Amino acid sequence: MKLRSVRYLTVEGFKNIWLHRLMTLASVCVLVSCMLLMGVAVLLTYNIQASFVSVKDNNLALVFLDDKVNDNEAVEVEKKISALSNVKKTEYVSREQGAESFRESIGTMFDDLFENDSTFLPAKIKVTWKDLSKTKTEKAIEQIKNIKGVYYVNYSKGLTKVLNGIQNVINTASIWIIGLLLFTSLVIIANTIRITMAARKLEISIMKAVGATNNFIRFPFIVEGITFGLISAIISTGVLYLIYNSTIDQVRQFGFLSLIPYSSVVWYLFGGFCIIGVVAGTIGSLISISKYLRKEGSEQNAFI
Amino acid sequence: MINIKKNIDEIKNNQVLIEFKGVSKNYANGTHALNDVNIRINKGEFVFVVGASGAGKSTFIKLIMHEEKCNTGEVIVNGYRMSKIKRREVPYFRRTMGIVFQDFRLIPNMTVFGNVAFSLRVVGASSKDIRKRVAAALSMVGLGDKARCYPNELSGGEQQRVGLARALVNNPQIIIADEPTGNVDPEMSYEIVDLLTEINRRGTTVVMVTHEHQLVRDFGRRVIMLEKGRIVADNEEGAVQ
Ligand SMILES: Nc1ncnc2c1ncn2[C@@H]1O[C@H](COP(=O)(O)OP(=O)(O)OP(=O)(O)O)[C@@H](O)[C@H]1O
Ligand SMILES: [Mg+2]
Repeated sequence: MKLRSVRYLTVEGFKNIWLHRLMTLASVCVLVSCMLLMGVAVLLTYNIQASFVSVKDNNLALVFLDDKVNDNEAVEVEKKISALSNVKKTEYVSREQGAESFRESIGTMFDDLFENDSTFLPAKIKVTWKDLSKTKTEKAIEQIKNIKGVYYVNYSKGLTKVLNGIQNVINTASIWIIGLLLFTSLVIIANTIRITMAARKLEISIMKAVGATNNFIRFPFIVEGITFGLISAIISTGVLYLIYNSTIDQVRQFGFLSLIPYSSVVWYLFGGFCIIGVVAGTIGSLISISKYLRKEGSEQNAFI
Repeated sequence: MINIKKNIDEIKNNQVLIEFKGVSKNYANGTHALNDVNIRINKGEFVFVVGASGAGKSTFIKLIMHEEKCNTGEVIVNGYRMSKIKRREVPYFRRTMGIVFQDFRLIPNMTVFGNVAFSLRVVGASSKDIRKRVAAALSMVGLGDKARCYPNELSGGEQQRVGLARALVNNPQIIIADEPTGNVDPEMSYEIVDLLTEINRRGTTVVMVTHEHQLVRDFGRRVIMLEKGRIVADNEEGAVQ
């Protein structure tokens, strides 16, 4: 298509947006509603994931050492563990330190039982992972088990599994929600634009009669669809900002949860909204004219 | 001597622009609109198509402009075989013809200028080119001073002249008009056909459907008569019974 035509048709598209401004308003409202719902789903997922990550941070592996291992040898073991690729941090807890913190947490009532023996607990090394994924942690645990002097590795396999499971469910659910909303907005936009087709049928039939290609006829509609999408993306990002910030304020009053700041996701959201808006707007408008393009004729007035 | 000249003229002009070979058209509901139609229309001809209501005149026109496809036979227009033409070729084929509608088909929220310019925008003409050619087309149909008017400010005859200007602004090979005078006052009808004659004189082939026998007689051109989907007469010089 010639550049000149592109310019002309783009202007036509904008004229149509203004000419059918009620429909523009309707389409944008539909898109904004769907985007807000999608945005809420995304923010929820992000926040849940973020809080899971902090839970998992506490989810250490405890490497218990053989009784025969003395403090010097334990330092060697700790070095070997630190050298593993998936290990973020290690912390050596000697038998005495272990007994001390045990006493601190339960008090002194069992002192008699242990007869003041400060070595009744084995020495251990606390290990924090870099990557919490199952394959990487399990591999590292195997490697740790093979280090000489390691007696036993305790890690909460169960909790990690459950958390990963919940996370997967949430991810899948939000993908479905977003997909469903995308489909809904597409159908509604196609129908909204179709309402104005009565006025434009004549124009399309004349365009066909004077030899306009289908792409030429489609172009202004695509301009319209893209504009709907972008306007809706801007509005949705703004509205979601207002909603989310007031939510953060509310939550802060209760003080038990910390939500991720909007600024950390705003560009992902805006980018996602733009893509979704442009796709829904364009496909929606293309669906609504496809029927009219298929007809070869000038007699478009004869059918709806 | 006269005969020889006529023959030479014929050979020169004998370039078939529209050809129907054994064409039949049945609509989906079973109506036989055209039956075994054979016809040739040469470059530069002016042809009236007449016949009673339902005789198949509009169908004949629609087959020429590829709005409908025939069931049997072959329609060849301007070198395009209608049975072989691809969807994406249709727009380029349409640009070789100008179409005039009985109901004018002007876009109400566009000025006269905008309506005529419409068919030039489609081919991507430059603004300068558009201004020049639209002005020429409008002055040809005698509406040079109405460029800024809107269709509802014009009489039926004037609106149809805008339709004519739109059809001829692209310099088409053929002008096809299905009852262009159907919604126009009788006196205005003559003006429209006068214009078509002038366009034809400049080399464009014209195929025009009409009901008005008096008009056909007065203009004395080739007349194709349809009856129940068949050609029952094909006379030179306006010889309608
Ligand atoms: N789209 C269609 N579907 C079914 N039948 C049709 C269709 N168009 C035309 N017909 C039928 O085909 C026959 C020929 O119609 P056509 O429109 O060609 O007649 P016409 O000569 O133009 O008549 P008129 O002078 O009334 O315009 C008629 O019987 C008509 O009812
Ligand atoms: Mg008809």
